[in-house]
Amino acid sequence: MTVTEQEIADYVGRVRAALADLPPAVRDELTEDLPEHLAEVAAEADGSLVERLGQPEAYAVELRVAAGAQSVAGRNMERRIAAAVLRARGRLHALDTRLGPPLGYPTASEFLRLLRPAWWVLRGYLAAMLVTVITTGGTFGLLPRFGGELLAGLVMLVGLVLGSVWLGRRSERLRGWPRWAMHASSLVLVVFALSALANAEDRAGYYPYDQIAVNNPYDRVRDVFVYDSEGRLVENARLFDQNGDPIRLGYPDCVDERDPNGNNPLLRPYPYCPEQAPFAPRAPAGSAPTPVLPPLATPSPTDTPEPTGSADPAATATPAATATPGATASPTDTPEPTPTATR
Amino acid sequence: MDTTQLLKGVLDLAVLAVLRDEDGYGYDILRRLREAGLEEVGDASVYGTLRRLFAAGLLTTYVVPSESGPHRKYYSLNAAGRDQLTRSGKLWRSFATTMDTLLDDRGMAA
Repeated sequence: MTVTEQEIADYVGRVRAALADLPPAVRDELTEDLPEHLAEVAAEADGSLVERLGQPEAYAVELRVAAGAQSVAGRNMERRIAAAVLRARGRLHALDTRLGPPLGYPTASEFLRLLRPAWWVLRGYLAAMLVTVITTGGTFGLLPRFGGELLAGLVMLVGLVLGSVWLGRRSERLRGWPRWAMHASSLVLVVFALSALANAEDRAGYYPYDQIAVNNPYDRVRDVFVYDSEGRLVENARLFDQNGDPIRLGYPDCVDERDPNGNNPLLRPYPYCPEQAPFAPRAPAGSAPTPVLPPLATPSPTDTPEPTGSADPAATATPAATATPGATASPTDTPEPTPTATR
Repeated sequence: MDTTQLLKGVLDLAVLAVLRDEDGYGYDILRRLREAGLEEVGDASVYGTLRRLFAAGLLTTYVVPSESGPHRKYYSLNAAGRDQLTRSGKLWRSFATTMDTLLDDRGMAA
């Protein structure tokens, strides 16, 4: 007897392995007699089991078909995958034909096919840039360099572009693993190109104002509040430099009562928004409208001789009370306060 | 169309038929089929068919110990199997007649 028990066991094992996708009960039922059957076959004739019956995997396929046993899960999965692939292909085809006419071609793929040589050239360039990054270590510009050498880099670029075009013209005929290798390397190059683009975008990107703020500490200034020696807010103040040029800081956020249309915001005095004064409440009612409404200015000086703030209805009188001597002085100037303040 | 394709449809009937007069074990049944002219029938096909007919309740099995070789599992037709053989046989005869007539009418040589 040329066939051993071991050979039969191996054969049965491989058949069962090939039927591994079947439900265990079905597989057991299908193969429970197989060892005896194979022993019978072995006893009847000479030669190994594989010689007489073929490979166990093929035997398993035939057995599966004859026994009418099909993996339920597997079949459903296969069907579902096949249907999904079919659907996706149909959708792609529809998209292909719909996008074609706007491009001036029957299908978009026909148009894209014309661009293939351009991709071959780009692919050569990308490969050269990848070599550049690898040999020069990270930093790179737009031209390839080989180990930092521009000339060598350009020679490499020409070589790789020619090689890529050569490969592109033959890619149709590639089959099996060379084809996969080409697609995989193309994918690597595309990923490399995208990351390099993102990198370049970062380097060339501008920073809105953080950087400028470092150079010009007044860039964050929105408004200027001037206080006199008594701590009172000075309104309608103007600032000038040593040359008599006005110092413009900030930008008017508030509507100017005197210039509601904002015809010339640069001429507006500080502060633009007295209501937003950081330290004190507005100076006694007198200061702001002084030039316009002198009568309003008088109440506060009249108050001041008597510290009893209760006479004044406005709560604003209370802080003014502390500054009594100064307060009296400035209102006396008030006939033309703004000119004196500015000059 | 080749014999393998045709066999798929009638292998059940063929297996039931060769078991009609005499029980048999797997390899024995295969040999009978081949001797009857179904030379292209495969071992796995016959074994698989036997397992399926057995699972369908058309066959019964018994093991015959052997002194010289391995134990042999014999298959035999039971009542349901004979019934099935009769019905399938009739169906085949009528189908074959229909096909024969179809071809005869068009003057095809046998």
